[in-house]
Amino acid sequence: MATWPETTKVIHTEVPRLDGLAKASGRAKYPSDERPDGLLFAVVLHSPHAHAKITKIDTSEAESIPGVKAVHLIAQEGATVRYHGEEIAAVAAESEEVARDGCRAIKIDFEVLPHAATEEQALAEGAPKLTPRGNTQEGRAQEDGDPDAALEQAAAKIEGSYSLPVITHVCLETHGQVVRWDGPDKMTVWASTQNVDGVEAEMAGAFEIPAPNVTVFTEVMGGGFGSKFGADSWGVTAGELAKKAGKPVWLFLDRVQEHLTAGNRPSASAKITLAADESGKITALVAETQGTGGISRGAAFPLPYVYEVPNSRRVHVDVRVNGGNARAMRAPGHPQGCAMMEFAVDDLAEKLGMDPLQVRLRSLAEEDTVPSGSGEPVNRTEVYRDQVELGAKAIGWDRRKSRADNAKAEGPLKRGFGMALHQWGGGGRPDKQVTCIVNPDGSVEIRSATQDIGTGCRTILAQIAAEVFGLKTTDITSNIGNSQFPPGQASGGSTTTPSMAPPAYNAALKAREALFAKIAGALDAEPGDLEARDGVILVKGEREVPWKEACRKLGTMPINVTEGYLEGLTAQGVGGCQFADVTVDVETGVVKLNKIVAVQDTGLILNPLTWKSQVYGGVIMGLNYGLFEELVMDPTTGLSLNPDMELYKLAGASDIPEIEIIPFDNEQMRKRGVIGVGEPPTIATAAAIGNAVANALGTRVPSFPMSPWNVLNALAKA
Amino acid sequence: MPPEDIKAPDAVERPGHSRRDFLRGSGLAAAGVALAGPAANEARADVETVDGVEIYSGSCPIELQVNGEAMSVTVEPRSTLLDTLRNRLDVTGPKRVCDRASCGACTVILDGDAVYSCTTLAISCPGHEVRTLESFETAEGSVPHAFHQNDALMCGYCTPGFVTACQAWLEKNPGKEPTIDDIKQGLDGNICRCGTYIGVFQAALDAAKAMQNGRA
Repeated sequence: MATWPETTKVIHTEVPRLDGLAKASGRAKYPSDERPDGLLFAVVLHSPHAHAKITKIDTSEAESIPGVKAVHLIAQEGATVRYHGEEIAAVAAESEEVARDGCRAIKIDFEVLPHAATEEQALAEGAPKLTPRGNTQEGRAQEDGDPDAALEQAAAKIEGSYSLPVITHVCLETHGQVVRWDGPDKMTVWASTQNVDGVEAEMAGAFEIPAPNVTVFTEVMGGGFGSKFGADSWGVTAGELAKKAGKPVWLFLDRVQEHLTAGNRPSASAKITLAADESGKITALVAETQGTGGISRGAAFPLPYVYEVPNSRRVHVDVRVNGGNARAMRAPGHPQGCAMMEFAVDDLAEKLGMDPLQVRLRSLAEEDTVPSGSGEPVNRTEVYRDQVELGAKAIGWDRRKSRADNAKAEGPLKRGFGMALHQWGGGGRPDKQVTCIVNPDGSVEIRSATQDIGTGCRTILAQIAAEVFGLKTTDITSNIGNSQFPPGQASGGSTTTPSMAPPAYNAALKAREALFAKIAGALDAEPGDLEARDGVILVKGEREVPWKEACRKLGTMPINVTEGYLEGLTAQGVGGCQFADVTVDVETGVVKLNKIVAVQDTGLILNPLTWKSQVYGGVIMGLNYGLFEELVMDPTTGLSLNPDMELYKLAGASDIPEIEIIPFDNEQMRKRGVIGVGEPPTIATAAAIGNAVANALGTRVPSFPMSPWNVLNALAKA
Repeated sequence: MPPEDIKAPDAVERPGHSRRDFLRGSGLAAAGVALAGPAANEARADVETVDGVEIYSGSCPIELQVNGEAMSVTVEPRSTLLDTLRNRLDVTGPKRVCDRASCGACTVILDGDAVYSCTTLAISCPGHEVRTLESFETAEGSVPHAFHQNDALMCGYCTPGFVTACQAWLEKNPGKEPTIDDIKQGLDGNICRCGTYIGVFQAALDAAKAMQNGRA
């Protein structure tokens, strides 16, 4: 069983990211910045209808435009497009402007079909049938204990209906890639992806060429959040266009397409009955839940969530609508499940006349065991208890008044406090590899196919090597985002760092061992006499040989080691809690955030600087979900009304409140090993904000986002 | 054709930075761009004169001053400054994100003002100085350095816009010690999806301080 070093000089210290200055000075080349010689620009033509049959496509006029070099049909004549924004064709031309002209010149005859763009429309009697099996699909029914009896015996119960809208990932770099054919069966792809190896496999498959002949580069990329795992239709299209034109092709979606066809977080709604005994412990939950993942499935979410519910029954329905396909989005399902559960818990506490914090603590399982890499398994309930104490203190929970008191407060400004708990996995996968190279000139290189989607993974791998070799992080070249390198983890499920850190450590250790074996003789010592630290090789604890001088003893042959997983360096199963302090203006319905507190455990924190950025980022994405985001579908036309960045709202600088991050970092946590942090801190934010709004107003705003519209509607009904 | 109240000025003024000015400009862009005076370079452009106003369409060779360098480039009247920089001049620091003046990722400094290059027409820029973040200092005390040290970026795709907006703000307010609210206001034209705002605020404060101390 391997362990991380007890004392560290680089690991667990704040190291600015290696590619930070390149990114902050415009020098970093994103896939969308690649401009290989002879490059053509491609533009995608998408469906202007929610539901239509393509009866005729005529590309002849487009092809005759000077500068247009290739046209590719993604959908053929006779095909049915099933949502606004679905890809139909693409045009490659000498300039993007001309490629747009080409798209406009494609003549398509549509037979427009009746649509169901909202869940209400899809469930209505006489709704158009969007799949042969209809518009709904039931999820697996859940039943545990005897919920009916438990409800009857309950000291208190509430019935609540809550809902969350469809939101989109809004990756700032839109989905896309540059494809260049380097021969009849060989290609280079600069892909904006969170899955370099996956894109390689998909492109090789699509063009029936050997996988080693496809090189995918993702040096840096502009955001994925779960939506960039595949080559996608546009990746294959770029390959086809490049083949036809005999030139490299740049193809990235435009902003409208990014919103409509590149994935979304499904909606969620629930009718929940939740009951507790006199002590405030939850005893039963009965729920009917629903959501839409667009034309695909994917609207499942966990419920019950976090708390121990001995008796429960739940039925779930996925509703298909004429909308773009759902894709995984940062902690898929959890923000929805969390909001539903935490709203109900809060409303139940109100009914009981209890502090909702106490109801939460009482409703945690006595034992919630999660593994530890090299320590004893951890009872997550104890972690939650400590976290809640820290968070409550930081937000000033003792200032919280009851809903009734807040509702009576003078004036239009009402202040409230809310909280929510969440959980996530975040463990490592054991099948990835890292290469470590030590060159005779003293340079050290880490190689893996994995990519850095903004988490700081590149820097972390270098930190690990620096720790092992006694060097600085900046001494290490961290070469990732290249599919020719050893297999790397796809960036999903907060698994990248926990999957890549163990093989990086393993490879660096083995490379150091090999280095010592090779150079010991030249240093008049045994390998066991050597130590690497502070930029020198220490011989027999006294003689210091500068690192570069020592490496020169390698002669001409570098050390080149590829290693895999080591047991004991990673674990999974984290907890966290968040608190929100808000002020709501009951005249305008505007919710102002005063402060958010996030307490998070994720095992051993390799780089507290980039770790903190991820937690801030999670909270900010969560507050967007809580306050602003909603993809609006027009029932009349079936089209999306806000596939842009002005009416699809995201927080700007002035919307950011004080955010206090509390790392739950202690020896027990560090012993657990590396656990990913990308997803957990975005889960509870919206729920905590919603609960703070309810506390402030004295009434529940049941629908997200907590926009003026939804707040005022709730007040009008109260 | 454009409405008749649009008369070409004697000399091309700096492109409008307000949305109102932009909208007026983009109305022209639908058919071509009306220009007159020295900036109009008609070598290969199709030029039509209507009521004394020259309407340009087709390809127009122009010269842009980018980061202190004269760059010759052929654009269309509809080509944005952003697409011209990125697609024709390989100046890819500024990013295209919303493409309609909502997010700020495309921000460049035009004659000292932070502007959205996605809604500025390239043909309106000859004779004006365009600066992108590639030209900024990166040493200690600089804006990019402060962003790096404060981890004010994650995926980094919005970062060029934030860095540029920050640089422009500092240049406009030399010696001023900004409050956090000044910073928020100054950067309110930019959107980050990864949620790096907290680091961005600190980076801006640090860069302002360094500027005051004369290090940048």
